[in-house]
Amino acid sequence: MSLQAFTTSQPLTLGVELELQLVSTHDFDLAPQAEDLLRVLKNHTGTWDVKPEITRSMIEIGTSIQRQHAVLLAELQDLRDQLSRGARKLNIGIAGGGTHAYQHWSQQKIFPGERFHYISELYGYLAKQFTVFGQHVHVGCEDGDRALWLLHALSRYVPHFIALSASSPFVQGVDTGFDSARLNSVFAFPLSGRAPFCLGWDEFGKYFDKMTSTGVVNSMKDFYWDIRPKPEFGTIELRVCDTPLTVEKAAALACYLQCICRYLREQKPFEPAEDDYLVYTFNRFQACRFGLDGEIVDPKTKERTRLRDDILRTLARVDEHALDLQALDASNLIRESLFAGNDAQWLRAQRSAGRPLSAVVEAATQRWMGES
Amino acid sequence: MPTQANAATAVAHAASAPLWTLDGLRAADPVLGLALLMLVALLLAEMLHRTWRIPRICGHMLTGAIAGPVMLRLFDGLELDPWKPLIDLAIGALLFELGTRIRPRWLLDNRWLAASCLLQSLLCGALVTGALVWLGAPWLTAAVAGTVALSTSPVIVLATTHESRSRGQVTERLLLMAAVNAVIAVIGLKVLRIMLASDADSPTEEFTRASISALRVISGSFLLGVACGFALDRLSPLVRGTPAMPVLQIALVIIASMLAAQWTLSPLLALLVAGMTARARMKHGLTVEPHLGSAGAVLNVLLFICLGLLFSLEGIGRLWPWVLVIVLARLAGSALAVGALARRSGLGWQQAAGLSLALQPMSSLAVLLAADTFGWTTHLPGAHTPTIQALLLATTLMQVTGPIWTQLALRHLAHETNEG
Repeated sequence: MSLQAFTTSQPLTLGVELELQLVSTHDFDLAPQAEDLLRVLKNHTGTWDVKPEITRSMIEIGTSIQRQHAVLLAELQDLRDQLSRGARKLNIGIAGGGTHAYQHWSQQKIFPGERFHYISELYGYLAKQFTVFGQHVHVGCEDGDRALWLLHALSRYVPHFIALSASSPFVQGVDTGFDSARLNSVFAFPLSGRAPFCLGWDEFGKYFDKMTSTGVVNSMKDFYWDIRPKPEFGTIELRVCDTPLTVEKAAALACYLQCICRYLREQKPFEPAEDDYLVYTFNRFQACRFGLDGEIVDPKTKERTRLRDDILRTLARVDEHALDLQALDASNLIRESLFAGNDAQWLRAQRSAGRPLSAVVEAATQRWMGES
Repeated sequence: MPTQANAATAVAHAASAPLWTLDGLRAADPVLGLALLMLVALLLAEMLHRTWRIPRICGHMLTGAIAGPVMLRLFDGLELDPWKPLIDLAIGALLFELGTRIRPRWLLDNRWLAASCLLQSLLCGALVTGALVWLGAPWLTAAVAGTVALSTSPVIVLATTHESRSRGQVTERLLLMAAVNAVIAVIGLKVLRIMLASDADSPTEEFTRASISALRVISGSFLLGVACGFALDRLSPLVRGTPAMPVLQIALVIIASMLAAQWTLSPLLALLVAGMTARARMKHGLTVEPHLGSAGAVLNVLLFICLGLLFSLEGIGRLWPWVLVIVLARLAGSALAVGALARRSGLGWQQAAGLSLALQPMSSLAVLLAADTFGWTTHLPGAHTPTIQALLLATTLMQVTGPIWTQLALRHLAHETNEG
């Protein structure tokens, strides 16, 4: 099967996907009620869509194609309100967060569906361990060459999104010490990591043909890269973010990405190179482990800086793009969160007050559903 | 030959009979007898579970049934009177635990669910009452039977969901509906008992007196339950982190049950409200072990053995049409009510079928908790005996098979179990 042709898409348009936790209101453990919630939401009135994910305690929502922060935020808030009403009807809660604090993977059930059963058969227990919750952001590109250029240029900023969105410090009842432990589950998959360094769509097509000829992959969906081209949509998809605890943060992260993409496209501050990936895994680890307090190495200058400072500088550089894109509210929210701390720190603060983890999950539920 | 002499001789013979004979067992010390029964119950339950995956509480109840008046007559129902406080405690512990599982706010968030709960109770009660009247029962006794029959056994459904480790929409609705219809049954039965025993001059006067009494029971039980919940909230910090927490919970259950009995309130309602209040006040600070810990687990086994001891097959030969009518009318009432509002309340058709089936275990709690002794038929004076006997027979049938229906529903229709 050859690589699909890259669909032309309007540049810098956005699409946001959020994977959400369904929890019981009795013990706040994951509740396998995705089918029930999908049934209740069947006739929803939003422009967004909702679909199942690999295990029955997860659902995924996807926004329509958006261009501006205010409209994207309004759609996400409408989605939150309708999902929350549906959840209350079923006596369940919905929470953000990259992991559930104390669920055990062996208790999760695979959602009935051909693709999910295929993954479960292929990856065994990894499929159930993939009960993690992320935000994926699609950015529109006009052709495959520009999409690949942007994909590799963005690699330098991947740690930003990991640290800003990090909301998965707890796994199986324990503080992992990571701000984003979710990505450790993604790393376990053999086709995770980063895309091969190709800057032309034809060259990438040759790579894809080689991979499919080995039988290792069947489609683009089999790659679990941090940034992945999506030719049928005409987008590149950033997949490193944990699901934030609020839809406001989700919208802000998407628009921060939009601003950086515009900055890279119009100003071309550097050309991506293979050697940029020499520091990629180190920077990524720092962001996962230490969040905003991590340190990263600039692939071009080789300078080591604090991640928080690097984000501040980037925000300053993209401010005029934020103004043009009417995304200043988004960049201001990102700026505030640099000092207030990310969602992982918020979750730890709930726990440090002596509260049990079920109370932490309840607090996260109330935060997402807008009840706090 | 003088009968007194024969009786004395029989007693002397039984007392000297070896323990492994039926006579010996009948004459054995009641504590020893119950302990032996518990041992047999555990072994039988485990064998049935491993061989045919039958819920363990069926094995416990079958042991009681075999030992009781139905077969070996090792125990008579009234011989259990000294054990009634323990049975009430076992029931009370389960009701308290059920109360902690229920979130009343759900009934506000999903009005169709609330309507479904009410409709299920009313329709079951009405269909059973109507069917019995059609068979020739007097309407007041038929109403009593209908009121008892509308209730699903909260202890059986809670024990079955524990064992099957079920989680999901049907499980949550099952527990909620069992609590709601148990409360409706208790209140309704209080009203009807007064009317049955009344010698008032007019029906209106009877009904007014009964209604006032019911209001007193509801409000008093509610206040007692709230007070108990608050007490648990205030006392728990003193024992937090120690093994004494289940002991504190059991102590408060005993106090609430005994005060409810003394003040002729409803222990069922009081304990459900106590559980709900404790959960609302303490939230994540409340830890409720299944059956309130290992002491509760022992009481649980004893409870189901005693339920089995109360089983009756007397008159099955001539009353089987009445029994069949009660069982089918209950099933029809549940299916119609749940089915009619399934979609509006957010339930799928298969789930609705599962919920209707899971609601079938019958409850004698409404009477047991209201009665001072196990001779509960005597506490419904003026009742038409064949109707009450048919009710007893239906209760026997739907208690011993009830866990099987519930488990089948949760496993094969709702797909919500996670058994080990």
